[in-house]
Amino acid sequence: MTLDPLLNAKILDMGRHIFADLGDTDPSLLDPRYLNSVLMRWSMSQPEFKVNLFRLVDVLPTLQSNEAIAEHVREYLIPPANKIHPSLGWFISLCKNPLLANVAAFMVKQGVKQMASMFIAGESPSSALPVLQRLRGERYSFTVDLLGEFCVCEPEAKEYQDRYLDAIETFGSTIPTWKEGQPIVEGHPGETSPVCVSVKLSALYSQTSVLNFERSVEVLSERLAEIARRVKQHGALMYVDAEDSGNNSIIYEAFERVFGSSDFLDIPYPGIVIQAYAKNSEARVDEMLAFARERGAPIAIRLVKGAYWDYERIVSSQNDWEFPLWTKKQSSDAHYEHLTRKLLDNRALCLPAFGSHNIRSLSHACCYAESIGLSKKDFEIQVLYGMAEPIAKAFMKRDYLVRMYVPLGELLPGMGYLVRRLLENTSNESFLRHTFFDADEVSTLLKEPHLQPEDGAPPPQTEQRYTPSEAPPMPDHFTAQLHELS
Amino acid sequence: MTHPHTFKNEPLLDFSEERNRRAVQSGLREVEGLIAASAFYARPIINGEELRGGETFSRTDPCDHTATLGVVEFGDRKMAELAVSTCAQGLPLWRATSVEHRASTLNRMASIMRERKSMLTALIIREVGKTWREADADVAEAIDFCDYYAAEARRISPPRLTEQVMGEENHYLYQPRGVTVVIAPWNFPLAIACGMTVAALVTGNTVVLKPAEQSSLIGHQLAQIILEAGVPSNAFAFLPGKGEEVGPYLVEHPHVAMIVFTGSRAVGLSIVESASKVRANQRMIKKVVAELGGKNAIIVDEDADFDDAIRGALSSAFGFAGQKCSACSRLIVVGNAYEPFIQRLAAATQDLIVGNASDPSSFLGPVVDQEAYERITATISSASAQLPLLAQAKVPSQILQRGNFIPPTIFRDVPSSHKIWTDEIFGPVVACAPARDFNHALELATSSEYALTGGVFSRHPQNLAKAKEEFRVGNLYINRGITGALVGRQPFGGFLMSGVGSKAGGPDYLLQFMEPRVVTENTMRRGFSPDIA
Repeated sequence: MTLDPLLNAKILDMGRHIFADLGDTDPSLLDPRYLNSVLMRWSMSQPEFKVNLFRLVDVLPTLQSNEAIAEHVREYLIPPANKIHPSLGWFISLCKNPLLANVAAFMVKQGVKQMASMFIAGESPSSALPVLQRLRGERYSFTVDLLGEFCVCEPEAKEYQDRYLDAIETFGSTIPTWKEGQPIVEGHPGETSPVCVSVKLSALYSQTSVLNFERSVEVLSERLAEIARRVKQHGALMYVDAEDSGNNSIIYEAFERVFGSSDFLDIPYPGIVIQAYAKNSEARVDEMLAFARERGAPIAIRLVKGAYWDYERIVSSQNDWEFPLWTKKQSSDAHYEHLTRKLLDNRALCLPAFGSHNIRSLSHACCYAESIGLSKKDFEIQVLYGMAEPIAKAFMKRDYLVRMYVPLGELLPGMGYLVRRLLENTSNESFLRHTFFDADEVSTLLKEPHLQPEDGAPPPQTEQRYTPSEAPPMPDHFTAQLHELS
Repeated sequence: MTHPHTFKNEPLLDFSEERNRRAVQSGLREVEGLIAASAFYARPIINGEELRGGETFSRTDPCDHTATLGVVEFGDRKMAELAVSTCAQGLPLWRATSVEHRASTLNRMASIMRERKSMLTALIIREVGKTWREADADVAEAIDFCDYYAAEARRISPPRLTEQVMGEENHYLYQPRGVTVVIAPWNFPLAIACGMTVAALVTGNTVVLKPAEQSSLIGHQLAQIILEAGVPSNAFAFLPGKGEEVGPYLVEHPHVAMIVFTGSRAVGLSIVESASKVRANQRMIKKVVAELGGKNAIIVDEDADFDDAIRGALSSAFGFAGQKCSACSRLIVVGNAYEPFIQRLAAATQDLIVGNASDPSSFLGPVVDQEAYERITATISSASAQLPLLAQAKVPSQILQRGNFIPPTIFRDVPSSHKIWTDEIFGPVVACAPARDFNHALELATSSEYALTGGVFSRHPQNLAKAKEEFRVGNLYINRGITGALVGRQPFGGFLMSGVGSKAGGPDYLLQFMEPRVVTENTMRRGFSPDIA
């Protein structure tokens, strides 16, 4: 399927302007003041370095002593560092010396903390308030996610639920009183309250499992209802996050059970997430739209590509199960656009939220919405905190409502999240990598995606092309910065 | 249908798919109906005929003492004699069939089991009290053994030349050993019985299969599948019976060439001993393949991912109520990780769901029978008097009295001299101990008399390298649970007192069932030979 050429031209035009705007800002990961940007560069050039660096980041929070940290740094980094440059390996080996070990351990801890603080806004709800205030001051809306350890017992599940209740209480009693609490986009349904949380549902019950399906749905519904009640008290907003395809069937079922009940019909736009990389995502969209129709009140649907691709790939390949996701990134992108149009076409039933850092995907959503006569109040854009501020800013400046997904939590449970973000920044398929690090041709990045033959698309027909000369060049200082890093 | 040499594991059911949950559910309903109609039973099958046994035994539901699942009729020594002599008569013909013929028979068995998967899964759930996942894995493994050994037989059987020499041909080929007795355990009632039996059959041996008393109903289903798939009636006999009665008779029989056993250490060693005696009219040295117990340890290093380690330890220790040879029964935690780790483990253990095996939400079900229940309960209560109890789950009161339910139980600070640390319990009981450092942990882990499985949770590259080198067990698992070995991918078996070092589902397994022969022919006559003529 190919888009109407006129619409596609509009998308390309918008995309090019967004790209042109990126030069005005410093993407944090690229800022040469940070060691991180150098590490990311090495990671992308040296797969072995990347694996070991990320494994090191993953293990760090559990290490108690400086000695242990220094030892892990040496063991993980010397072999791949030697491949980058022998002097680098030598430099790392210096931390064998006990004195230097302490210094090195301190530096590494600081480095990881700093890296984590780029993506995680604080340890507790109250400690995150300054960040949230700044974000709203800069005209970004937010939704807060509480990072949780995998929960193995009921006290942990209860504690996790309490953290949500406490966060809603803290935010609900302070943020609406700020001057920044006023709506960013007046009359936007996503701004009926400045407070919004995103719930990772499966961690609210220690025995969540697909085999324990009925009981999982029942227990999770009860616990979700308790959170929804608190949300309702404060007139706040909420989303239930999607997870891996194993847990998702439980999650959708619990979502419908809670928000279909008469107790919560008056919660405005309860949110659910659809992952476009899943082959069954269109069926999910249909199911959710049918649910909204039956409910008699619209819901919010955050459309994302999905964050568990590698995990699902491994699980399905180890078990020889049919892969439930599109195998090609471009197929997910194409399906994302298809579902974008479907959600916008059904605006009466849902408030679409487009969660993506892909300028093409977002421009497509904006232009398609306009082409069917919707306004900027009919949808919103969502990005991950710390991931793509220049992109967020470009859309915010165009008066779209941009909501940042802001994780809170301690370093230890946050590591899984951090490693996922690092992977996302450095993966070969990453739009952000191609945009900020590889500085691919804008025309390539904005090209209309198509379902790929590997994912069951018909054989390719003649492709639409437009010449790179139409695209504005990368701003000079932006590319200069990239060179400095290499 | 072609049967490629390459083997693929039968996929485990993805229970996030509703249709798969429905399939097991409907299997359970079907089996419930069959139980009510007294359709499940076990009788000796010799020469293709079902014989009425003498003594009978009612197999009760391990989840419910009041429910009978089926009646087992035991064969006696006379029938054992008949079974061996029939299989001895059948040997020349079965041995003479082609490898391809025998291998396709195994592939047919696999197909039949696939067709009956939900019934077989449900019967395993009912007869031995496995949970859904475990029962499904049991059936999948049985299917895997058929397809894997079929592929292996095709691979290794063709005679091959040892070397190319002019004027001479040296052929290396295999022949079966002869009448093989398979003594199967109840803990993998379909998979292990099937694997041992088909390995013997595909290599041209004839087989007398004695199932465990506790899983004779499933054994009977297996026997029917073997015959349906086309194994001749005089190449296979099924002999349910009391271990102590027919077991020794079969092992001592002068016409039995090989004994394949999986079970307890005591019985295994007695078989090894008894098989070494040459008796009147015995023409061969008996071969014994024995896979025995384990006292398997998981080491949790200071830098381990606790989330993973807890999940791995719980499933390894308490899956199927700890009644797997591969189960984790010792937990060794390094240094400062000890206290925080075991506290979190304790909390997690307390919330595990103990329930009926047919209830999909159960993390574990009952132990296999009353005898096991009493033995394990006594072990726990005597240990409780001597050791600090770390955690014990709860058994819901409504099922407590009905079946053989034992709560997952963990003792802490267990000294390495204690029975709980050294002896196999074969139940949901774990002994924990701290280690000073990783080397100490390895020392504790490997000081056991057994060497079957072991596990390490660590993110320390040097410690992992050391473990790969020094944690000498048959199957070492790193940063995952230590049960659930897959045929082909993780050939399974141990050494020391865990067995003879054989690897089920591995490339060397079938060799044990055969004797190699070499045929050398001088092809030069009057100074010319085919290769230069």
